[in-house]
Amino acid sequence: MSLTSKLTSLLMQAALWLAAFISVFPFYWMIAGATNTANDITGGKFTLGSNLIPNITKFFELVDVPRIFFNSFFVAIAGTFFTLAISSLAGYGFEIFRSKTRDRVFGGLLLMLSVPFAAMMIPLFVMFSAAGIMNTYLAIILPGVASIFMIFYFRQNTKAFPSELRDAARMDGLKEWQIFIKIYIPVMRSTYAAAMIILFMTNWNAYLWPLIVLQTNEMKTIQLVVASLATAYTPDYGLIMVANVLATLPTILVFFLLQRRFVEGMLGGVK
Amino acid sequence: MRFNTPRLRNVAGMATGISLLALSSAWAADVTVWCWAPEFNGAAMNEAIARYTAAHPGDTITVVDFAKGDLETKLQTQLASGTTEGLPDIVLIEDYGAQKYLLSFPGAFEPLTDKIDYSQFADYKVSLATVDGQTYSLPFDSGVTGLFYRSDLLAEAGYDSAALQDITWEQMMEIGLAVKAKTGKPMFSMDQADAGTMRMMLQSAGSWYFNDDGSANIVGNPVFKASLETWVKMLQTPDLYKAVSGWGDYTGAFNNGDVAGVYTGVWMTGGIKGNNMSGKWGVAPLPKLSNVEGAGHASNLGGSSWYVLSSGPAKDTAIDFLKTIWAGDADFYQKILVGQGAFGAYLPAREGEAYSATDEYFGGEAVWANFSTWQAAIPGVNYGIFTNEVDAAIVAQIPALVAGGSIDEAIAAIDAQVAQQIQ
Amino acid sequence: MPDRSTENRASLMGWAFVAPALTLLGIFMAYPILWSLYMSFQTGKGMNFKFGGFANIIRLTQDPVFLRALSNTMLFLVIQVPIMLILALLFAAALNNPKLRGRAILRTAIFLPCVTSLVAYSVLFKSMFAIDGIVNDTLMTLHIVAEPIRWMIDPFWAKVLIIMAITWRWAGYNMVFYLAAMQNIDPSIYEAARIDGVPARARFFKITIPMLKPVILFTTVLSTIGTLQLFDEVNTITASQGIGGGPADSTLTLSLYIYNLTFRFMPSFGYAATVSWVIVILVGILSWVQFQVAKDR
Repeated sequence: MSLTSKLTSLLMQAALWLAAFISVFPFYWMIAGATNTANDITGGKFTLGSNLIPNITKFFELVDVPRIFFNSFFVAIAGTFFTLAISSLAGYGFEIFRSKTRDRVFGGLLLMLSVPFAAMMIPLFVMFSAAGIMNTYLAIILPGVASIFMIFYFRQNTKAFPSELRDAARMDGLKEWQIFIKIYIPVMRSTYAAAMIILFMTNWNAYLWPLIVLQTNEMKTIQLVVASLATAYTPDYGLIMVANVLATLPTILVFFLLQRRFVEGMLGGVK
Repeated sequence: MRFNTPRLRNVAGMATGISLLALSSAWAADVTVWCWAPEFNGAAMNEAIARYTAAHPGDTITVVDFAKGDLETKLQTQLASGTTEGLPDIVLIEDYGAQKYLLSFPGAFEPLTDKIDYSQFADYKVSLATVDGQTYSLPFDSGVTGLFYRSDLLAEAGYDSAALQDITWEQMMEIGLAVKAKTGKPMFSMDQADAGTMRMMLQSAGSWYFNDDGSANIVGNPVFKASLETWVKMLQTPDLYKAVSGWGDYTGAFNNGDVAGVYTGVWMTGGIKGNNMSGKWGVAPLPKLSNVEGAGHASNLGGSSWYVLSSGPAKDTAIDFLKTIWAGDADFYQKILVGQGAFGAYLPAREGEAYSATDEYFGGEAVWANFSTWQAAIPGVNYGIFTNEVDAAIVAQIPALVAGGSIDEAIAAIDAQVAQQIQ
Repeated sequence: MPDRSTENRASLMGWAFVAPALTLLGIFMAYPILWSLYMSFQTGKGMNFKFGGFANIIRLTQDPVFLRALSNTMLFLVIQVPIMLILALLFAAALNNPKLRGRAILRTAIFLPCVTSLVAYSVLFKSMFAIDGIVNDTLMTLHIVAEPIRWMIDPFWAKVLIIMAITWRWAGYNMVFYLAAMQNIDPSIYEAARIDGVPARARFFKITIPMLKPVILFTTVLSTIGTLQLFDEVNTITASQGIGGGPADSTLTLSLYIYNLTFRFMPSFGYAATVSWVIVILVGILSWVQFQVAKDR
């Protein structure tokens, strides 16, 4: 390796570690906050403190933690599963069976995606209320299950799905749905893994729509609880930081568990 | 014929069961309350619920808390959708927004005029919830303003409580600069995106953004101009304040001792008392505008009230609850004053023990009695329905004004934006 | 040449695959969208509205707040989206190198920001960028600045802060899409190029970029939509007293203005709907351009 390329590689590594530091620092700040009192935090203290236990105790006193976490997990897992199923099917369909009409429909979907949610909240609310399913898990999950975003994602990734694989499967007499389930899903598992991370995160952090459809304390998700804690007349930041750490951990774990999947490489997997 | 006793008993039992069921559905009710700030509004409400359900064991009243902005979003979505299912029976609304809700959604809220004796509540709180002669609210906490200051720091600069009694904003600025020179700490934390200072100054002189008929009262309103000038002058004096952005930064500054005081609503008392600085705080009247006719030391910031939704299935219980506790239990108000620092607008509560007590935290002053006196002097104004719109128009001009822009041009621009927004 | 019956069968199959999604979208999006289209021709406050024809569109052209929101939004779009996507692509390319040490840690670290919940995000940024916050303290200790920067108080710096915040939160997210897509490139292509003596930089531009084109298009279109709908950051980080977009509307976006018109101000549902159609039209034009550019290359 030449000296310049060694230098470039060193510089690149330094840049990456700097980016990683900037990315992670606020998380450290959050964890440090969870161990400090509110006044220490607003005073700018960023070393670890000794107030972790009181903060946690207070959080568990104020909030029905198991119930709230159950709600969040249920919504995130069910939402991820159904969205993956419905949307990857559609993304595959739009790309593999291309037609002029369907391409136009797809263009229309992209336009629909651009309508701001704030403009649709009221009519959506009217529909769910008429259906009598307010304040249910179903109501939180349903509007997001057919995700235009995910359809688009799967469609773009399907472009990399080797057509030889499909042709070979057809020769073997596999039906179209069998090709999807037995060939496409295993081959595209890095795509699925990335989608799963994104969807879990989106569902876990969902805010505005759950706020609108949920009506009782028993149904609240962790995000709503944290937001309510944060708007006290004199906010207790130690408490809020504990809540934030707990509300962030699950998504980090999911990323950790799934990231290996999407870096393993699909071609290595099929061989 | 043999009498089949067991069966008869069964039948009789069933009959009693049915009648009990019918009876209980007549009086056992589930009431839902929406509010924000669980440690303040929620805690006060829960105290009231405990008192009510002790006497009415069949009823359950549940508090559901949301972030304040979220509650408004949720309420507005539901009311706009026209579906009543899922609405609470009682909801907390900030006083500035009262008229907006009452006028935007006619029929959604229950008039309480003939259920509640409003002569027992502070006048200005009653009038802001009155539309066409009907009053809709159960007035809750007052936002009567005061100047909270660090008596220890001010003493270092040579000021005692007497020096703060009848001062103008200009004198306040002098004192603030002296405090900074002596102690190194600025007097206040100020957020130039928060128009609260404007609102306090305007109401202290009995003026507001709007005339009684709802039209904008901005260009040609001397109080508006004087308030804007005063606020901008303060913002142009960097040694007077620590510049902050947002609520947490703002409250954090005086709670952890970065600044020497805050002028705000009485509801801040609880937060200030949570800081382990007993004896180091004092409360003085709000400074007044100089050279403005009718300007005084009494004003209001924030405060909110309970409203009953007309569609609520448990509406009658909800009203009875508000009437029994919130409009009838003076002792309850002593409890939430001590517990949460919630200063009610219910006048009979003033006779209570807690309201006349002195407070060591504030150097042994009778702070609540002072607030009571100031509250009685708050000029009533019509908050109207476009307060948020005007706030936004004002703060849009502030950076240019602080940089030295013309006040008259800024007022013209505010007026033009407001005219455009309220069409 | 395929005969007509296989073509029909393929078409039918295509509809079968997309039918569940289209049915759901028809229910949950079509009606709300039609409602908002209908509303955009209504004027009035609260629940008292009436047919106003094009009154709302005329109002748009005279509304200084709308024009501010539009120009802020476009500024964020033009500056922030390219910065973020280029960063994401560079991170992905660097992290795709199997020889890089600490790959898993770096990858996780750079992805982390997007998992933060909204509340954590706003509390953290507000405190870090406060006037006496850690960012200013660090900059002053390092003698990069002499005076603390008024991040959330000065209109210019507030815009800079928002651009930094969005980039912090979403660069790693976009990186994940690129990384996942890079895995779909056959390593033997790189191997062949390396044997032919193609240098690393050329491999990146001649192989990686063209192969990633579908995903780059995807992230560009999505980031465009995301920025035109930018809401979370400006409703929390640069908010005071529950009204976002500060200071002095310098970070007010179209989406936030819609939200204010609907929920914060005296509700103007019709006018708010009209503003949302401005976003739809902008997305339509920009996505069309982006698809055309992607096709040509």
